[in-house]
Amino acid sequence: MSLEVRLEGLSVGYGAAPVLRPTDLVFPAGSFTALLGPSGCGKSTVLNTVAGFVRPATGRVTAGGTEVTGPGPDRGVVFQHYALFPWRTARGNVEFALKRLGLPRARRRELALAALAEVGLADGAEKYPAQLSGGMQQRVALARALAARPEVLLMDEPFGALDALTRTRMQALLRELWERSGTTVLFVTHDIDEALALAGRVVVLGGSPGRVLADHPVPAGPPDPALRESVAARLTTP
Amino acid sequence: MQASPSPAGRALGRLGPALGAAGAVLVLWYLLARSGAVAPGLLPSPAETAAALADSAREGTLATDLGASLARTGQGFALGAVIGGALGFATGYLPRLSAAVTPVVSFLRPIPAVALVPLATAWFGIGENAKRLLIAYAVLLAVWLYVHDGVSRVPVSHLRAARSLGAPLHRRFTEVLLPAAAPALLAALRYGASVALLALVAAELGGADSGLAYRLQVDGQFLRVDRMFAGLLVLGLLGVAADLLLAAVGRRWVHWSAS
Repeated sequence: MSLEVRLEGLSVGYGAAPVLRPTDLVFPAGSFTALLGPSGCGKSTVLNTVAGFVRPATGRVTAGGTEVTGPGPDRGVVFQHYALFPWRTARGNVEFALKRLGLPRARRRELALAALAEVGLADGAEKYPAQLSGGMQQRVALARALAARPEVLLMDEPFGALDALTRTRMQALLRELWERSGTTVLFVTHDIDEALALAGRVVVLGGSPGRVLADHPVPAGPPDPALRESVAARLTTP
Repeated sequence: MQASPSPAGRALGRLGPALGAAGAVLVLWYLLARSGAVAPGLLPSPAETAAALADSAREGTLATDLGASLARTGQGFALGAVIGGALGFATGYLPRLSAAVTPVVSFLRPIPAVALVPLATAWFGIGENAKRLLIAYAVLLAVWLYVHDGVSRVPVSHLRAARSLGAPLHRRFTEVLLPAAAPALLAALRYGASVALLALVAAELGGADSGLAYRLQVDGQFLRVDRMFAGLLVLGLLGVAADLLLAAVGRRWVHWSAS
């Protein structure tokens, strides 16, 4: 159902420009971690390396003990700008994820509709992305990523382009889906309140090249102003 | 426009302004020919042009010329579009290949197809192959450029999403790259069709025994201005027909795109 993700001495750099200093982090199976930091701190790079889009310069990433060498359906990705295929309907986009399972067409359709219903978009199944609002598009993207039954869910500022109200709703939906699926979640954001509201652990990245500045567990329950202050302090320290 | 006009109404709505403009040109042409401002014999009226067209249809030269030109254009276009499209996908998808090939294309592109007619004749004679290849070459460059541009603009996140959803290479090509590049491919084909007509005329003027442009040249030598007008009209209509056909195909195929 979920895999442990490990960064072992991972550094990333394009040519002479390092993006991430050697970093060791462990994300236990089924955990929900926010990677928090200003833009350019390497948080998206960490995510893209776990996804297999970007190769490490040194060290390695493992998922469930296996070294990551490229993208794979065990690690689902939700992109900031949704990355939906505009030539496919919402249902078609979700079915794209189901195709590799080799199911009969009717079964695939059924599963896609169920996945859309799960994100509250049963009515929009036959609409094209251009006909859906940003929040609805991100719901489709979430349904598509989850339909592939990934064991790790990687999210790169997925709600960054949404208005505040839609964002709050999507956060609640994501929590609910995570509690149900038990997937390991890595959630990249630059919004401290979003990180604290969603995650069980907040890793603060910063500097250039990036490194881990702080690593806090977030206790369940009402927001803790002291924790927010301490995280915010790390976030603004160069 | 109505909220939801019928398909016929929509077609009329699209064609209406074009038909109106064509009508206005016809009227102006008629008035200019009647006015005597141009020496008689140099500007045939629309009616005289239509009569000349009917004559060449009756004599059979229209069918022969149209057939020869269509065959050359069609074959050359198909060859050029297939190769140019394949190259466009290859260089658009593989930046390293593109870096190696782009300088060559940048050098070849500004050389007009007309300039290559003597060379094509020297290499391939004045037969059909020289004409087909000249048209194919011109179409190839045009289609390559457009398709390359379209493919290289496919959002990286689309390809990444497909890979992380476990789609193998053949599915990433047919289900992501191809539809994502479809609008560019369509623009490439429309542009390629217009380039094919240009190359056709260049190729036929370089030496032929039939064809629309060949006939223009022959009629020119005999100062048959009415026949020349008829020939130009047919060439123009051919271009319009090709473009309308490709646009109609495009509307069905690229249905999700706003344009």
